[in-house]
Amino acid sequence: MNRRNVFAVFEMLFWPAIGIFSVGLLTRFLNLTEETVTFILIGAICMNTIQIAQLDLSYALLYSVWSKSLKHEFIAPIRLGHILLGSGLMGLIRGFLVFLVMAVLSVGLFNMELSRPGAGGLAILLAGMFINAAIIGAVVLALVLRFGQRAEVAAWAFSYLMLLLCGLYYPISVLPAGVQVLAQFIPLTYFLEYFRHFYGFPLHFGRPLLYGFSLSVLYILISYAILLYTLRSAYRRGILLRLSE
Amino acid sequence: MQPAISAKGLGKAFGGGWFSPAKQVLTQVDLEVLPGAIFGILGPNGAGKTTLISILATLLHPDTGRARVLGLDVVKEARKLRQRINLAAAGAHFLWCLTVEENLRFYGRLYGLGGRALTAKVEGLIDLFQLREQRRVVFDRLSTGLKQRLMLAKALINDPELLFLDEPTSGLDQDMARHIREEILRLNRDLGLTILLTTHNLREAEMLCSEVGFLKEGRLAARGSIPDLQRRLGLGDHLSLVFRDSPAPLEYGRLPGVLTHRIKDARVDLVLDRVETRLAAILEAVAHAGQELAQVKVKPMDLEEIYREITH
Repeated sequence: MNRRNVFAVFEMLFWPAIGIFSVGLLTRFLNLTEETVTFILIGAICMNTIQIAQLDLSYALLYSVWSKSLKHEFIAPIRLGHILLGSGLMGLIRGFLVFLVMAVLSVGLFNMELSRPGAGGLAILLAGMFINAAIIGAVVLALVLRFGQRAEVAAWAFSYLMLLLCGLYYPISVLPAGVQVLAQFIPLTYFLEYFRHFYGFPLHFGRPLLYGFSLSVLYILISYAILLYTLRSAYRRGILLRLSE
Repeated sequence: MQPAISAKGLGKAFGGGWFSPAKQVLTQVDLEVLPGAIFGILGPNGAGKTTLISILATLLHPDTGRARVLGLDVVKEARKLRQRINLAAAGAHFLWCLTVEENLRFYGRLYGLGGRALTAKVEGLIDLFQLREQRRVVFDRLSTGLKQRLMLAKALINDPELLFLDEPTSGLDQDMARHIREEILRLNRDLGLTILLTTHNLREAEMLCSEVGFLKEGRLAARGSIPDLQRRLGLGDHLSLVFRDSPAPLEYGRLPGVLTHRIKDARVDLVLDRVETRLAAILEAVAHAGQELAQVKVKPMDLEEIYREITH
């Protein structure tokens, strides 16, 4: 589908490139240190990678909803797990490609320094990004199955809000005190903090990996349970048929 | 013989909340369809046809009652059942940017097909539904008729034992509708497919269905073969005898097979149980009475009358 969909190219190349150029040029204008440039650019990379990966998970249903073919997919003997696995793999591949493109641009053009956390640190950040994308994607899927297409906008607004709270371009300490409490419930907060501490930025929360992975597992289980419940409810409420009309 | 479809007490309501009552769409529907039959569900808009077919096709859970299709429970054994059934519905909708071939391959994969088996299946269906010229055309650029053909092709991708057709010829021109009907009959005849179809088109039901059921306000108001329904409702074939001068002096009500009769001027209208077996005897009686006939008109009973009788 991506081959014939010009927007897929926009999603994977154009918008990420625009994102990196605008944030990268801003860091150049502000004449920041290499550490601070990396701090900010990794936030931009995170945002785009997560957006693309979670979009692919949501596309598992959204393409069928948009083409009104949902009932033909659901009359086939497939499980929810098949849908999530297939779209999750696509999200992983496309998300990783976006990460690669943005990382190359950032290192090549804006002096971002990626090697300091080592391969392990980078792998943990990537894992954190993809886990968060999976959680957001599952919630979007559940919302679409419950409320139909009108839920898309709300769902994506929710994902932007989450990215805002997790300290994408700034340390958690600059958030108002009440908002900092909310930030500690978002797994990505911990993965970003962990990655950035290699560049000398102090940890706001202790044991970032323990909390990051624990919250991730918890949220994945909760979002999967919600999705399963929503699907069962969709069979009862006739949502699959309504979304196919 | 185990029925292909067996439903008991099916009920379904939609909506309903604190301020609005739920709308009952199906009420206590019992249904039995034998293997190899083409069963037609008829009824006006909103009668619950699509709801019923969706429950049987595992896309909707009933609120009350139970249904088994091919011996499997439509809720508890849905996944197993889905391997053996398929659906084609009016207003074909598929992924818009995939070609005919890609769409068929996509659905084939959902049924676990792959490699050479998938290629052979897709090629066979492309030939069967005469889609070879359009195989590389994206779905959005196909005409309505071609989309509907692709829909039927997709519905056969898993070699189903039972096919659900939800208004399969709706929106098609006469030629294409005829072609699709012939195809449905062929699938039933050659492959022994059991078919459950909903339609608004009574002629279509007459042409295709060995048995029909009439849904009215969510209830199955009547079901049976068309001649069977005709007998039960006291409806029959029409025979009009128009005489040159005056009607033959006969006791028309006592003639064999006459259900009702009406005489007006030189015209006698009879309703017969079966015109094909009674016509010769009636014409003979008229000839004996010595009156010359100017015109004889036969109008076989049709579904329209049964439909009117049941739904109004």
